[in-house]
Amino acid sequence: MSSFDLVAPASEEEAVAWLARAPTGETAVLAGGTDLLNDLEEQRIAPRHLLSLRRLPWNRWSWTGPALTIGSTTPLVDLEYDPKIRSEFPGLIGAIEAVGSVALRARATLGGNLGRSGSASDLIPMLLALDASAEIVGPSGRRSVPVDALVVASRRPALDPGELIRSVLLPEPRASAYLWQRIRPAQDVSHVGVAAAFSPGDGRWRIALGGVPPRAIRIHPGASELPGRPSKAALEAAARRAAERLPLATDLRATGEYRRLVAHALVIRAVEAAGAMREGAP
Amino acid sequence: MSGAGRADAPVKLRGAAVYGTDLSAEGMYWGALVPSPIAHGRIRSIDLAPARALPGVVAIGADEVAGLLPKGAAAETPIFPKEEVVYRGQPVAAVAAPTRALAREAARKVRVDLEPLEIWGSIDTLLPEWPGADPPRIGALNAHVHARHGDLEGAFRSADFVLAETYRTSGVHQVPIEPHACLARVDGELWTVETSTQTPFGCREDLASILGIPEPQLVVRGSWVGGAFGSKGSALLEPYALLLAKASGRPVKLQLSYPEEFRLGRSTLPSVIRIESAVRDRRVVGRRVRLVLDTGASLPGRDFTLGYSAGFLLGPYSIPAVEVEGYALRTHKPPFGPHRAPFVPQCTFAVESHTDHLAHRLGIDPVEFRRASVWTEGATTGLGQTVGPFGLDAALARAAEIVREWRATGPPGHGIGVAGGFWSTGTGAGGEARLRLTPTELEIEQGEREIGSGSVIRGIAVGVEQRLGLDAGAVRVAYLDTATAPFDSGVFGSRTVGALGQAAEKAADALRTELGRRCGVSGAAAEQIRLRPSPEGLVVDLGDRRRAVRELLTPEELARGGLRVEGRHYGRSGTIDERRVLEGSFHPFNDFVGAAHVAEVAVDPEIGSVEVVRYAAIHDAGRVVDPTTARAGIEGGVAMGIGTALLEETQWGADGRLENPSLLDYRLPTLAEVPPIQVEFIEGYPGAGPRGAKGLGEPPIVPVPAAIANAIFDALGVPVGELPMTSERVARALKRL
Repeated sequence: MSSFDLVAPASEEEAVAWLARAPTGETAVLAGGTDLLNDLEEQRIAPRHLLSLRRLPWNRWSWTGPALTIGSTTPLVDLEYDPKIRSEFPGLIGAIEAVGSVALRARATLGGNLGRSGSASDLIPMLLALDASAEIVGPSGRRSVPVDALVVASRRPALDPGELIRSVLLPEPRASAYLWQRIRPAQDVSHVGVAAAFSPGDGRWRIALGGVPPRAIRIHPGASELPGRPSKAALEAAARRAAERLPLATDLRATGEYRRLVAHALVIRAVEAAGAMREGAP
Repeated sequence: MSGAGRADAPVKLRGAAVYGTDLSAEGMYWGALVPSPIAHGRIRSIDLAPARALPGVVAIGADEVAGLLPKGAAAETPIFPKEEVVYRGQPVAAVAAPTRALAREAARKVRVDLEPLEIWGSIDTLLPEWPGADPPRIGALNAHVHARHGDLEGAFRSADFVLAETYRTSGVHQVPIEPHACLARVDGELWTVETSTQTPFGCREDLASILGIPEPQLVVRGSWVGGAFGSKGSALLEPYALLLAKASGRPVKLQLSYPEEFRLGRSTLPSVIRIESAVRDRRVVGRRVRLVLDTGASLPGRDFTLGYSAGFLLGPYSIPAVEVEGYALRTHKPPFGPHRAPFVPQCTFAVESHTDHLAHRLGIDPVEFRRASVWTEGATTGLGQTVGPFGLDAALARAAEIVREWRATGPPGHGIGVAGGFWSTGTGAGGEARLRLTPTELEIEQGEREIGSGSVIRGIAVGVEQRLGLDAGAVRVAYLDTATAPFDSGVFGSRTVGALGQAAEKAADALRTELGRRCGVSGAAAEQIRLRPSPEGLVVDLGDRRRAVRELLTPEELARGGLRVEGRHYGRSGTIDERRVLEGSFHPFNDFVGAAHVAEVAVDPEIGSVEVVRYAAIHDAGRVVDPTTARAGIEGGVAMGIGTALLEETQWGADGRLENPSLLDYRLPTLAEVPPIQVEFIEGYPGAGPRGAKGLGEPPIVPVPAAIANAIFDALGVPVGELPMTSERVARALKRL
């Protein structure tokens, strides 16, 4: 690991101001650090400055009616053990539980995960299925952007210079499920992740797939194809079309054709699992 | 006898144990190795000047070695290649510097200019047409072994049917949590290395041959060992560290990073196994097995694994006609290295899967099918060795009961599989131990280090304690270096309790005789002698009277730390019928250690995921000397075997590059993948160890991949045939892809 200066501002204004002055290309932003520190240790990057967000008051969440705003540096484990989030966003909890180990989740954050935009992220597919948006803060103030527009490719979020991810907004609780497949169930990288969530607003399912570069993909089966209570044939057809959308990518973890086989099976299971939650709701 | 706990636990829990990675010394330099960037190439030039330009950096290459070694030193093989590199990462030079960061920077600065040559990547690229009916035609052979017995042609000609199958296994790494690390210094004539090793004397022997320095000038001092599993049985970093210490005039620390541990450590490499069985009247009457083993850049003639493991491919069954042939293939990978029970879990996976498939084809219960031909004492192996006391049949009988119980209670759809396995402990390799008796304590002076299994710290002490009537935990184990310890062969081959433990017990007998002499008793009376603690120190209990140890020691002994008595154990190896060997070396088994394992799995028939939900391990370990340690060893072995079965795989590119040198992409099992393990012992089949003990370090991993494979076969009705049995491979076996 090369040496660097660590800056840890206590206020949002200070952080934004510091980043605005920081030399481009020589600064890395630290949230939980569970991914960034590997890059530093392996010397894939050698920034001269590290801007830590850990002292900012971004490590909490709030409810506004049905909407949940999660501060970007909230440790995942805090969300995981909150009873209300567990009952309102079961799919998000499923995705969080898929991330690394308990110890890692005590450090890892939602904002960090978005900022790193890993193609194998377990969280991003779920955020897509929940129609999540991110609040961005930067030199020109705050703006809101759908997660779908923020996540481009691994390590490359669509942020302008000097911008930081402040929080993530989930518009409403949804019956949802996240399912994954890996070589080792615990503490591994998913080669396929499937998120399904039912949007009560338009009565349609949102499905998103992850695990293959360049990024998680959001699939919109139309209402006619996948209604709230789809027939077996409709669900089967939607799963087949979703799997075909997955790029045919082979790497050390799995072949492209196996990923499609898994995606097909897991789309059906995720919709069924989330659908069962809907049925069970009062 | 149990309950002593582990004397190493408090030391380790307090952080007081000094591992190889903890070693340091005043004025120490850090070493770094310069790796070959390609797997095969001719050396044009290696320019050390850019490294030497950095402050305080010492750099050595092939040209410097002779000048560093004592005059007349005759190294057997060049420590750095002069003409050709034969695997990626092969050290072509080494550097030392005041800091680790600077050493690494210096290593990167060395200019290595190589002319690329053709790379032999894998068995598949070298032998695209194999397996076929014919033996493989191989140019690049490190070793070839071939043995045969009985009327094989007749057996196959008259068979009711022949089952011919091919199995593939992947490379597995030992993954000791502590990577290789050592600290070397050279003081005048004396070359000393402290190192994390499982064979201090073996390391000294390797150094003598690699450096050409006589053994008396070499001292190896073992550190605490953070896991070894076969990886720390030969010298690896020590020669480089010693040469750097000589060149720099300072102590030099050399330690692998974890990616380097994966790339440079000697691990087990892939294989293809072909098994053909001729069946007549519901019995196997002939078996032909061929093993093609990737042995990487191993030196020809140095391979022990091939001839040893090939013998296991015939299985622990009586078969009238057999042929076994093994080919050790040379490729441009690092040399093959032993991994707990070297290559036998893989052989057992093949032969025990095959056994289940035969039983299935015949419609016979797979355990009953095994029991009809499994060896019992007095049987003859395929290589003509007479089988000693062997409890596998009893273990299989118990496994059958467990299967019945689980079938009655398990959910439908789960698969249950049984595999038998056997192992032969390395008790043929001898050793010596010394007891040191002071007025207040008894200590075993010996040359091994505890590597985590408990075989040294408990295994050799427990026999001495029992012999002398002392409480568990009363005898201390001291770790000496190779200059002061009595010789021992090493902690490998599950031999420690069986051989070194026996030497320690013999020393205890000799101590009793000597104490008896000093007390004026002999014969049966001396055998009744016990040592007892007392407020004034140790006393000798003669039954009718007691004598304080203090009174029995001479002034010289008191001045020199106590009375020392040695015990030696050099066991006899078994013998095979050499007339059956046509080529190469096969090795006899010393002990016959058997185990039957039962696995229950849940398999996802759509996407192929496998979960092991229940596991039972029934072991014939001869007499169990310390049940707590024995159980822990079995649980660890099963966990490790689950890795080999389902998860672990070194992934080698066609260019000889290891693609997954990290603990993220090389997957060890976590506790989430290891179910509760039911451990049982079968006693009554004594081995060569103290009062019938058999080694237990390696046997627990042997049947695991096979038991899980058979459980998957039971659930799905199709064989997977390849290790590890990842969900994708299971899905392929199901023709989902």
